[in-house]
Amino acid sequence: MSETNPNPAPEPAKVPAPVPAAAAPAPVAAKPAPKPDMSRGDFLWAGWSMLAAFFAASAAAGARFMFPNVIYEPSQKFNAGAAATYDLGVSTKWLNEQRVWIVRTPSGFYAMWARCTHLGCTPNWWGDQNRFKCPCHGSNYTLDGDVIAGPAPMPLWRAKVELAATGDLIVDKAILENKPGKRENAPFFANYASA
Amino acid sequence: MSYRKAFIVSNALLLAAFFWAFGKDFFAPWRPYQAKYYKMAAESLDKKAADEKDEKKAALFKAEARKMRGSPMEIKQIISGDLGRFDRCVTCHVGMDEYTNPTLKNEFTENPYKSHPKVDSALVKAHPFTKFGCTSCHSGQGLATSVEAAHGWVKHWEKPMLKGVHIQGSCVKCHGDFETLKGAEVAAQGKKLFNKHGCQGCHAINGWGGVVSVELGDIADKPFERIAGYNFKKIRFDGKELPNDHHHTEWNLQNWILAHLINDPASVTPNDPFAHYNAEPIPPSGMPDFTKELTRADADAITAYLSGQTKEEVIPYRYHVAGKAPVESSLTGAAHGKYVYTKYGCQGCHGLDAKQGRRRFNAAGEGQVEYDEKMPEAEQLAQMNLGAEPTLPKLVGTYTHDELVHKLEVGVAATEAKKWKDAGPMPMVYMPAWKGKISKRELNDLAIWLRSIAEKDESGF
Amino acid sequence: MPTLDLEKIKKEVIDSQLWRSVFRGGVWKDTPRDRAGHIIGNVWLHLHPVKVRPRALKWAYTWGMGGISFALYLLLTLTGVALMFYYRPTIGLAYRDIKDLEFAVTLGMFLRNAHRWAAQAMVVAVIAHMVRVFLTGAYKKPREFNWGIGVLLLTLTLFLSFTGYLLPWDQLAIWAVTVGTNMAGATPVLGNEGPLGALVGMRINNDVRFTLLGGTMVGENTLLRFYVMHCVAVPLVVGILLILHFWRIRKDSFSAAPYEANEAKVDVWPHLVKREYIAAAGTTLFIMIWSILQNAPLEAIANPNVTTNPSKAPWYFVGLQELLVYFDPWIAGVVMPGLIVVGLIAIPYIDTNPKGVGYYAWKERPFANTLFMLGVVMWFALIYIGYALRGPNYAWYWPWESWYMNKPAPPATWSVFGPKGVGAYSMLIGIPLMGAITAAWMLLPKLIQKELDGKKTMGAFLGLLALWAGVGMAMGKMDLVQSGYLLSLVGASFYYGFVLPQRHIRTLDWPRYLVTMVLVVSTMSVLLKMCANLAFNIKYVLTIPAISMNI
Repeated sequence: MSETNPNPAPEPAKVPAPVPAAAAPAPVAAKPAPKPDMSRGDFLWAGWSMLAAFFAASAAAGARFMFPNVIYEPSQKFNAGAAATYDLGVSTKWLNEQRVWIVRTPSGFYAMWARCTHLGCTPNWWGDQNRFKCPCHGSNYTLDGDVIAGPAPMPLWRAKVELAATGDLIVDKAILENKPGKRENAPFFANYASA
Repeated sequence: MSYRKAFIVSNALLLAAFFWAFGKDFFAPWRPYQAKYYKMAAESLDKKAADEKDEKKAALFKAEARKMRGSPMEIKQIISGDLGRFDRCVTCHVGMDEYTNPTLKNEFTENPYKSHPKVDSALVKAHPFTKFGCTSCHSGQGLATSVEAAHGWVKHWEKPMLKGVHIQGSCVKCHGDFETLKGAEVAAQGKKLFNKHGCQGCHAINGWGGVVSVELGDIADKPFERIAGYNFKKIRFDGKELPNDHHHTEWNLQNWILAHLINDPASVTPNDPFAHYNAEPIPPSGMPDFTKELTRADADAITAYLSGQTKEEVIPYRYHVAGKAPVESSLTGAAHGKYVYTKYGCQGCHGLDAKQGRRRFNAAGEGQVEYDEKMPEAEQLAQMNLGAEPTLPKLVGTYTHDELVHKLEVGVAATEAKKWKDAGPMPMVYMPAWKGKISKRELNDLAIWLRSIAEKDESGF
Repeated sequence: MPTLDLEKIKKEVIDSQLWRSVFRGGVWKDTPRDRAGHIIGNVWLHLHPVKVRPRALKWAYTWGMGGISFALYLLLTLTGVALMFYYRPTIGLAYRDIKDLEFAVTLGMFLRNAHRWAAQAMVVAVIAHMVRVFLTGAYKKPREFNWGIGVLLLTLTLFLSFTGYLLPWDQLAIWAVTVGTNMAGATPVLGNEGPLGALVGMRINNDVRFTLLGGTMVGENTLLRFYVMHCVAVPLVVGILLILHFWRIRKDSFSAAPYEANEAKVDVWPHLVKREYIAAAGTTLFIMIWSILQNAPLEAIANPNVTTNPSKAPWYFVGLQELLVYFDPWIAGVVMPGLIVVGLIAIPYIDTNPKGVGYYAWKERPFANTLFMLGVVMWFALIYIGYALRGPNYAWYWPWESWYMNKPAPPATWSVFGPKGVGAYSMLIGIPLMGAITAAWMLLPKLIQKELDGKKTMGAFLGLLALWAGVGMAMGKMDLVQSGYLLSLVGASFYYGFVLPQRHIRTLDWPRYLVTMVLVVSTMSVLLKMCANLAFNIKYVLTIPAISMNI
């Protein structure tokens, strides 16, 4: 049901145009109306498409706005020292400060986050048994981080590790992986041939 | 029902529900306590006024009493900005609020009306409430205004009020000098016991100690999520389970630490020695049973000491009191060796004064019978529990001095131990390699002392 | 003593200039003109028509759920704004402010409870509203667009609930949101963990999850963004859509009922308005009493280093989380929900059955009703499983089993086709085979011209399955439980996914038919994958690790 305005505003009173005192003769012959450079359709099309472009550009800019350029998360990167200083096997050098084991194999390095995937305790490396054992509830992990026994539900996480140009190992704990097939490859494994 | 009736009924019910909600909120748990305090205080002042002969003094008492009666009912809080405490304890414990009770003393004897004990002592004077708040020492949920919630003995509040002597753990947080501090004697005793019974042999505190088990330097920060509930159910205090329902829970950190000392850890964390749930058998907790060695008071002291081991609570610099540097021992020879034995916690596995090796699950031990496949599991369990660490006097006589020093330096791997049941679990504990951790001089003297207590010299020399 | 003539005073007040300037209309008399005047002259009410069909008033017809949803939305706005006066969206203060609301703010606990329970109730109400509208065919022409707006409103309701969930900043909040937003990271192409995402250059700090969180993990920025979305951005969008939604209802002559020539209408004032009032009052009362009796949960303060075990999404998303057991995150978290939303919106356009508009038609709309209700039942069944039957480490715990019980490690899983699948060249066989089966399934129901006999076909199929199970059990390779899963889940997939479409929609035109079959086959794929996983420990049917795509 359309609503008709019950009280339409009164039409503005027509005011007769004032007649100049000295009635000028017929106005100077007006120039014929200039021919438009573009048709009405083209003009409107141009106008609306510019508005559409404005909206599209604003939307894109809005999307870009939502991606922060700086974030205040503490850096999880650290320099683990020269790669050449590590022996083959598990190093507990950074265990206390960074909670990471640096593991060197004949073909390279990987860094494992020393956090048991059960309830978060720090497991211990038992070299003679070649496994990590968590003292809290007995989870056992292989050198690769796979669960052998105990209540842990998934393998240990590996952190991103890369070799800097200076020969140092740079570990980034913000980027983690524990799926077999992904964790053995870059960026979770840094190739470093043994002499 | 007609809509007209429904109209009246629903509106009436809405009004009633409003009153119910508002009433429930208005008659908050803290109100009766505060009201009663004002009443009790006013009555006591009136009595004093009546007993007082001096007119002026009596008038003062009467004015005080009037003030008490007219005091507004409000939530009172103590704010300690430096320590981040917003404690509303004084809403109920009005006697401890220095604005309502300026002398901080009263003659009431019951909580929450009584005043804070020992307000004249050096301890309380050194820690004014307005500067420290309440929960810095007592712990608890300062933001709450109902009884159980404020005391923190509720689910999801991880720092409940510390009971009894455990409060001295709070001293340890700021006072590096707690071992000689008056008022922190129980915590000091806790540390002494921690070292005497060899806990640091397996548990390091801030890097000082063994690595066989968990570092305890931040044990007071242990989140509840990391304590397995199925183990909590096995804890028994005086034979009873700890209650854990939504209104009151005793599943908290202090009780958990205490349980390690007054229950047998292997019964609380039995794990899976017969591989029912796992691909391999997993032995129970390797921690020895200290229930015969420690009294309940000892256990409480150690718990108090450990309750102060926190890294999360950031203590502002001005609040921190430095401790004294440890003093090097001036002993030499065998006496020094005995001191070294205690210093590094060897008695944690090898027993006090090396007299008797402690339990070592599924290792060889005295009094065991041979393993037989047909043995029922319960009997197997009992046999495995008889496994023990070597009793040093019996063992060290077979080593020369140099062999012994070398042995201490390289340690003994768990795989080298003889198991009672070969297919059974690998023992949890092992002898760490002490090279680099114990100095050469100390190792030398330790070996001297150990050989001096050997039963007989079988070193072949 | 002058006596007070109340009637005279009342009349003078109502006739005064002050009163009449505010409340136009003066004294209302109970005449048809004035009853119309109530509606037309009031800004809040004039969205209603003056008269309405009596059949549209019945509670048994509408269930009142649309109105109840709106009433809950208003309650939520009111309580929400109140809570905003005491809440600060920053990590250092959020949890403390919630505690303050609980203990130190007058009626704080009550308002918080009301907000929480109204939110839960609203999710239920909008779903119930959607089911009602479906069952009464009120989405059919010309109401297709309004149904689409409704689906968008449903999605936004769930999103409002999700963003609000984070604000208390407790363990429940941070981990539920971590689980939920990690699914965003699995979006195909746009997420760093989704198929093709890494190839397009998506990393953890520039993908769609990054923009949702304002960072690489749930933290300070996330709290602020979710706060703004929850309190301002999304309510604005919902408001706009609601205006559109109500306008469309009004323009389509209110509650859908077929035109009957000369159907006598009744006045909206009072007949509809009084029902709306009772619904609103009842809803408010329900929420108030619930809020007095039960407190909203609050766990320990959020700790990013400590994950709760198990870690679950809010109940309305835990069905999707359960799907994660059977599908990779990009399917369970992105493709499936996307298909559900798009599928719901598509329903009015693929449903050409003119029957069942404005009344409950069970026999006249067998296909539509059956498949829709199957979807609804599956949704809630998955929610139930995820909520009640999954315990620590997401292992299966029956309701009577204590979560403190140790459960053995789950058995090893295997994949059928793919580089790590069974047999050599399995991907070369797998992809074409899967493609062929899917194509056959999609096309056969329409290509079989003659209507199949439902009972005979099902009997034959179930017989085949029973034979398979029998042989399997005899060979010792299957047990009774697995056979149970096989017969029930695969049997159901065949019935709902093949027999029903063949019988009812083979006469649709090809575009509509194909769209419908895509939705049907996707739904059945859930049942089939559940069977594969629960009965046979299959992890993936087809795995293509090179592009992170596993099905």
